[in-house]
Amino acid sequence: MTATRIAHLPGLMPLAVLAITLLLWQSGALMLRADFLPTVGLTWDALTTLGGESDTARMVYNSLRTMFAGFGLAFLVTVPLGLAMGRCDWLREMIQPTLTLFYPMPKAALMPIFMLWFGLGDTSKIVVIYLGASLPLLYHSYQGAASVDEKLLWQASAFGMSPLRRLFKVVLPMSLPDVFLGCRVAMSMALIVMVSSEMIVRQDGIGGLMFNALDLAQYDYVYAAIVIVALIGALLDIALEALRRRVVFWVPGDVLEGGR
Amino acid sequence: MIALENVSKVFRTRQGGLHKAIEAVTLDVAEGEFVSILGPSGCGKSTLLYIVGGFVGQSEGRVEVAGTPVTAPGPDRGPVFQEFALFPWKSVLQNVMYGMLEQGVKTAEAKSRAQAMLRKVHLEKYADFYPRELSGGMRQRVAIARTLVYEPRILLMDEPFGALDAHTRIALQNELLEIWERDRKTVLFVTHGVDEAVTLSDKVVVMSGTPGHVKAVVDIDLPRPRVREDLLRNPRYQEYIIELERMIDRGGQHDGH
Repeated sequence: MTATRIAHLPGLMPLAVLAITLLLWQSGALMLRADFLPTVGLTWDALTTLGGESDTARMVYNSLRTMFAGFGLAFLVTVPLGLAMGRCDWLREMIQPTLTLFYPMPKAALMPIFMLWFGLGDTSKIVVIYLGASLPLLYHSYQGAASVDEKLLWQASAFGMSPLRRLFKVVLPMSLPDVFLGCRVAMSMALIVMVSSEMIVRQDGIGGLMFNALDLAQYDYVYAAIVIVALIGALLDIALEALRRRVVFWVPGDVLEGGR
Repeated sequence: MIALENVSKVFRTRQGGLHKAIEAVTLDVAEGEFVSILGPSGCGKSTLLYIVGGFVGQSEGRVEVAGTPVTAPGPDRGPVFQEFALFPWKSVLQNVMYGMLEQGVKTAEAKSRAQAMLRKVHLEKYADFYPRELSGGMRQRVAIARTLVYEPRILLMDEPFGALDAHTRIALQNELLEIWERDRKTVLFVTHGVDEAVTLSDKVVVMSGTPGHVKAVVDIDLPRPRVREDLLRNPRYQEYIIELERMIDRGGQHDGH
């Protein structure tokens, strides 16, 4: 995901790194002359062909739809749970071990099981994307709520604020920077899981396109599909970062720099 | 106004053990009195303040404010913390208005009162700034203004100038003196600065040890309004400082830290 970071760093250096990457790709392709590494030009041709086809837009739309369904579901369920965990000891003690156990598990590996349960349709994919996105969201929301400065809560209670009101007026806004960080990790997670799930369930989607091209040995189209996925990831990341800067305007800098 | 009787506090440590922070503290603060709690770090002086604030519950003993047992925080006791505890997403003006709004003061009135208070602490030009745009001294002025403005009967100040540089600290001490000598609120002020305690207080409560206990209560009989220059030349001021410093030193040796 190098494109992700480069995308919002202004200046010459990021462009230079991008240029060097393309240069290495191109020279590798020219030296190897292998089918599995098409030149930048061939990939570009495939990309423009794909770009001109209405099928491509439909596939991207289908992929994004399942991805956002899974991500949105994860957001709605997990963020409130994570915030509650951060402020409630018994809830944390109850959930933390399970969280630790599930965090490193490769979520796409569960896909075959979900296919048995939910069939070959979108449901299996949405469930697996939901799982992939929910753990980072849970973890970061929890971190955010747990690290709210106690003195701030005391100050609010000295104003006469009730505990429930403090939850919305203090804990929630103070946790937002971490929730956004969770969203950022979860979004790229959702994208990755979305592509892998389409590898397993080949339906109308950008991952399906990629792996079908792979089966047909159309390597230029494989690379074009990879570029499309990377661009989607970069665009989503830029959008999320722009939203974060608007919402959490009081936190300077980039979330990845841990600005607090 | 504030009455503590035989107050003790035991914390449960993370390892599951018990740690006694305060032992059998008895203390009375009269209405309109400025009382400092002076002691080295770790003597439980802040904990004592938090108990009066209702932020932390005592393990034993009786805590009363205006004749009523303390069970929770309330707008009658306004805290000022060393860490400022400003709401970072609210502007200076919004921070100062916040307490009043929570207590049902109408927006227009809250705004004019907040602006008047900001003038008092010389921050009227910074009303639309956000906390992170201010220096430490300015942030603490905002925090003090925010608490003063809703007129709590008691101020609970927890080393409010501890995080500031020496120059800013003296400036804020003088501002606090000026405001206090006008309003005469009841103040409980936690500090480890001997000169700060003597400069500001009517009474200094010296705490020491683990668990923390009251070692002595010293009445500070110095004329008001207090002006730093006059104080520094006043032999009685110097005597108080020497006496209190000795007391703290002896406490330190005795407790073997």
